[in-house]
Amino acid sequence: MHFFFFREAWRSFKHHRGLAYTAIFSLTAALAVCGVFLVLAHNAELAMKLVGDRREMVVYLRDEITREQRDALMARMNELYGQVTYVSRDEAWKEFTEQVGDPALLEAVDGNPLPASLRVKLRPELLNFTKMNEAARQVADFPEVEDVRFGGEWVKRLDEIGDGLKRGALAVGSVVALAIVFVMYNTIRLTVMARRPQVEIMSRLGATDRFIATPFIVEAMLEATFASVLALAAVFGLQRAFLTQALHVAFIPWAWIGIFLGAAVCLAWLAAVIALSRVLRAVGA
Amino acid sequence: MIAFEQVTKRYGERLALGSVSWRMDEGECVVFLGHNGAGKTTLLRLITHEIQPTLGTVTVGTFRTGRMSRSQRALLRRTLGIIYEDFRLLNDRTVFENVALAVRITGQFANDQVEPMVLHALDQVGLDDKQHAYPNELSGGEKQRTAIARAIVNRPAVILADEPTGALQRRSAEEVLGLLKRVNEEGAALVLVTTRRGVAENMGGRVIELEDGRVRPREVAPLGRVRVAES
Repeated sequence: MHFFFFREAWRSFKHHRGLAYTAIFSLTAALAVCGVFLVLAHNAELAMKLVGDRREMVVYLRDEITREQRDALMARMNELYGQVTYVSRDEAWKEFTEQVGDPALLEAVDGNPLPASLRVKLRPELLNFTKMNEAARQVADFPEVEDVRFGGEWVKRLDEIGDGLKRGALAVGSVVALAIVFVMYNTIRLTVMARRPQVEIMSRLGATDRFIATPFIVEAMLEATFASVLALAAVFGLQRAFLTQALHVAFIPWAWIGIFLGAAVCLAWLAAVIALSRVLRAVGA
Repeated sequence: MIAFEQVTKRYGERLALGSVSWRMDEGECVVFLGHNGAGKTTLLRLITHEIQPTLGTVTVGTFRTGRMSRSQRALLRRTLGIIYEDFRLLNDRTVFENVALAVRITGQFANDQVEPMVLHALDQVGLDDKQHAYPNELSGGEKQRTAIARAIVNRPAVILADEPTGALQRRSAEEVLGLLKRVNEEGAALVLVTTRRGVAENMGGRVIELEDGRVRPREVAPLGRVRVAES
């Protein structure tokens, strides 16, 4: 029986090729826009993750603290905030001289003025401005600590960019979802109207709404699948042809592709169900 | 089997059926005779529940007029076999597929059961050699025989025939009527509507004449099979 519905869907597709192609190409265009945005969002996410990995808190220590006090502080910070690395005064000076490079400038500095510090690679749940700020204030209150730096403005900016991308993805996703529903709704409505005599005959022979509707729903889902695959192929071609020449851009991960295909097919199903529930009554079936 | 009790149907101001009562039992043959606009097709549409009566009650088997869901209505129609004057075949399907559709619609038979049922029905109407033909490759009589095969393939209790010979030439019409008589003799009740008195008399069942939506107090029927409840 299931094969029968697929055959019916294919029959409908063949008989109304114009409508089917229009639907597929309209959906492909909408889904390709969504696909391009997914590529951008994915790469932005990768970049954010890379930058996020470098987000750290630097805790400057008082000169007078003992080794035991330092070890105790490191153990506490390891437990509360993340992975801690100790940078001694000498190591800090060595890094500084490598960064400055010019011996004339270094000679102007009288001795090593740099304090010892702890570099804290924060836990993932602390990698946002609010949490980092709160953690920095707590650490600054420890008696062994002279000062705490974490580049607050930079972190805040990163968070804003991340939020903006999420909102953008949601907006584009919503517009594309609406486009899919709109295109499929109208395509199915027109297809049923074009096959009105057949629908009426089936109804008079005692076909249930489900029996009449299933081939149209299968057709809508197949069209959405074709359109999704075409859109992904187009975005992949675009990524290969242009983007990789200028800079390294990664394609959408497999999990996202699965969600993309699934969402398109589910939306087509939803649109077809809504359209059929209305149009079958309208044709008096 | 089928009962109309004081059934009136109006389309706006126009009266299509006026307080009509009649009933038929299993295996009976009832022919409704009347001119165009007499209310014959309205009567059939009331039986199939395409329309609801303005007044009165229509009962078909265990189904009664009133609030009937779409799935119940579909179930009712699956207990009927319907034949139309214009055949109502699907032109993009073969004779076999047209008949098979009626079987698949019931949802009760597996794929391997469909073929023998369809071939048996086609054999009954003498179209077993035309199973791969499309409707536009058939004569009028063959199209109507396909429609009859589609109507009988599920062995319904009642066959409704709406002017089944209206679009046919005399010889084809005689073949179709002969076929319907045989189906009736094999046990299916038959409700046939026609404008042609010759057809009504030829069928040999109970004849009810309709005129302007009302039953005329006159019958042409074999003795012992007369039963009409007048309005």
